[in-house]
Amino acid sequence: MVESQTSSHVGMTDKMKATDLNIYYGSFHAIRNAQLSIPERRVMALIGPSGCGKSTFLRSLNRMHDLTPGARVEGSVTLDGNDIYGEGVDPVTVRHRIGMVFQRPNPFPKSIYENVIYGPKIHGEKNAKKLAEIAEKSLRQAALWDEVKDRLTRSALDLSGGQQQRLCIARVLAVEPEVILMDEPASALDPIATSKIEDLIGVLKKDYTVCIVTHSMQQAARISDFTTFFLLGELIEVGTTSEIFTHPKDKRTEDYITGRYG
Amino acid sequence: MASVVAAAPVEQRGNLRGDRARSRRIVDKIATGALWSAAAFVVLLLAFFIVYLFVRGASVISWHFLTGFPSSSDAGGGIGPEIFNSFYILILTLIFTVPVALCAGMYLQEYAGPGRFRNFVQFSAESLATIPSIVMGLFGLLIFVQAFHWHYTALGGALTLTLLNLPAMMRVTQEALAAVPTTYREASVGLGATRWQSLVRVILPSAIGQLTTGVVLISGRIFGETAALIYTAGASVSFGKSAYDFNPFHTAETLAVHLYQTHREALVPDADAIGSGSALVLLVMVLIFNITARVVGRRLTIRFTGKA
Amino acid sequence: MTSLASAPRSTAHRDERIARSILFVCATVFVVGITLILIYLAIAGTRLFFQFHVSPLTFLFSNNWDGADGQFGAAPFIVGSLVATAFAILVGGPLGVAIGVFFAELAPKRVAAIFKPAIEVLVGIPSVVYGWLGLTLLVPAIGQVFHLVDGDGLLAAGIVLSIMIVPTVISLSEDALRSVPDAMREGSLALGATRWETISRVLIPSASSGIAVAVILGIARAIGETLAIQLVIGNAPVIPGSLLKPASALTSEIVMDMQNAQDGTAFQASLFSMALLLLLISMGLILLIRFALRKRT
Repeated sequence: MVESQTSSHVGMTDKMKATDLNIYYGSFHAIRNAQLSIPERRVMALIGPSGCGKSTFLRSLNRMHDLTPGARVEGSVTLDGNDIYGEGVDPVTVRHRIGMVFQRPNPFPKSIYENVIYGPKIHGEKNAKKLAEIAEKSLRQAALWDEVKDRLTRSALDLSGGQQQRLCIARVLAVEPEVILMDEPASALDPIATSKIEDLIGVLKKDYTVCIVTHSMQQAARISDFTTFFLLGELIEVGTTSEIFTHPKDKRTEDYITGRYG
Repeated sequence: MASVVAAAPVEQRGNLRGDRARSRRIVDKIATGALWSAAAFVVLLLAFFIVYLFVRGASVISWHFLTGFPSSSDAGGGIGPEIFNSFYILILTLIFTVPVALCAGMYLQEYAGPGRFRNFVQFSAESLATIPSIVMGLFGLLIFVQAFHWHYTALGGALTLTLLNLPAMMRVTQEALAAVPTTYREASVGLGATRWQSLVRVILPSAIGQLTTGVVLISGRIFGETAALIYTAGASVSFGKSAYDFNPFHTAETLAVHLYQTHREALVPDADAIGSGSALVLLVMVLIFNITARVVGRRLTIRFTGKA
Repeated sequence: MTSLASAPRSTAHRDERIARSILFVCATVFVVGITLILIYLAIAGTRLFFQFHVSPLTFLFSNNWDGADGQFGAAPFIVGSLVATAFAILVGGPLGVAIGVFFAELAPKRVAAIFKPAIEVLVGIPSVVYGWLGLTLLVPAIGQVFHLVDGDGLLAAGIVLSIMIVPTVISLSEDALRSVPDAMREGSLALGATRWETISRVLIPSASSGIAVAVILGIARAIGETLAIQLVIGNAPVIPGSLLKPASALTSEIVMDMQNAQDGTAFQASLFSMALLLLLISMGLILLIRFALRKRT
């Protein structure tokens, strides 16, 4: 059992905190007794070999497991101190405040504009002018505005993979979440598109709390402030990125960092 | 990098209880309820039909009813010859439909590349499938009854039903073949087998469960077919032993046609009872076909592929 | 070692060639079949115009029908078919799509395991049994509710048709929805949408061409249905004043009067013309489907 160490750093609040988190798929115990604090306005990377449970853990942070039949989440996950799995909590509101970007870009088969304003429209914004403003702001934040401003009404599916992913990020930003979860957002993209996304994350962390799953240690080292290492469903170690990569405390972490296994 | 505006303060977006999303949650609940109701309504309707059919028809069913001859003017007629004809025409139709559709489906799935011919055949099949059964019946009338001078025959009816069901049977074949993993084909061809050998020895056996299910389900539809048979196989039966005729050129009123004729003409005083009994027998046959299709299909799939 | 060049002589290859030819011939049966049908029905269906000199305009638009007596205005039947079909698709269409959505998005496995076989049984019920149910259940019920002597008419026909096309619409809409990738659902829900918002704003629009096909095929089924409506529609060769008065449709008229029309008469020719009209409408619906499917890519 590992004590979360990030909040021991002075001057940082926990935006989210997982306590005694256990996740089951049917009888399979996918995540065992995880404890983790995610500090506000920083980038927290989740690393580990394939199948170690990092995506499973991430998805519990915005109650995506509600959609999976047979999945069970025990323990608590708090947002600003409130348990998102508590009694009477509305998952729809949870996902409004905690957004997610997926591994494969998944824009809707609608226009670029319709994609971006989908979230705000659902949450009640009706004013066309306001919606246009939100769309422009979000697309600028996602570093996509200049590339698409002349073809907002064209289908989102015409964009390249990298552009689609930035569109998905703009879509999440339009909803104005506080936390952005990213599940290997660049793994389906080429290196140039990847570096654009990484630059974007560097800017986003000024205003949003970011938690990113990545299978690339180099990426974690490049963009994250804190890193958590998972192995076989257990949270092995967490710390600042420089600590984890230069002086890992656990031997298993060290083996992974040095490339002993996948 | 463009400048970034900070996210709005928490109070504006609502606490986790989602008070501001309440109306949306209500809409979600109402919609969910409406969808459940729609499904339940249809299922209850079916249950009601089945119960009604049993209640009305059960008292009519007797050995005499099921095997006796129909009467054209008195009460107490039976449906024996009609049941015989229904099965006779069914089997005759299958004899024509299954091989042709199977072969055509195999050709399209395993041999034909994408191109004009394939499109032609698919389009023809789709067109045939959309033709109303009465129109097909009239075509049968033109060709078999009039042009060939056969008058009303079981064979004419069967051939008409063949045309009617070929598209469905071919689709069943195509889907069953498409469900067989490509790896089987690759393995077989890799061992030096020709495409035909692969088909017969590996692919068809794997697909046999799904094929059988499809054939039995289509049989159920053939059994209940009426419009295409009235003017091709006829609406009467001979009296006496000759009603159970194995000659394909005999006039063959099926059970479904008989049900229709009984109510159309209403000559017999117990038309109501005969109708109830016939309808129930038809329903029971459909249920039997449905259940058999699933059970046999599953058994065969396990037997031939070792998995469910 | 066997020379590679001797391979074509083997029996396996001869079998392959024979098999391939047989399979090819079977495939052509479809093309030959539809062609023959088109030709024969075109000839028989136009005899009314060419041999008996009835104007196609009269046939299509005149209200005046007396088959045995030389009046061939088929408008009552055309109107009857259209109205009954319209009713069926307006009631059965949304109902079928709703249940398709239910199966694709809402139904838990155990519920689906009961409901889906039930729908399959509904598909299997022969149309003559639907007609009989309509005759013995629905028509008297309508008579009671509306205080009529006879409850047959377009309302009865429309209701029976609605029930008959529901399973078709269900299965095709369900397929259309299932083929929308899960990534769409996840993306929408992750943005804070409710399930119904996801269904109505993302999934149904994404599946729209498949759902359109479901509806068109429902229409095709309704317009071609014969037995079920003949027993409940009343069979009066007039355009009725209301949905509750006896009426007629193309299919019901054909099946009812074909036995009364002597071979070679104009009466019989007029019935073939109705069959030709139905054939053309069906082909038109197929082209519509192809168009709807092409629009998506």
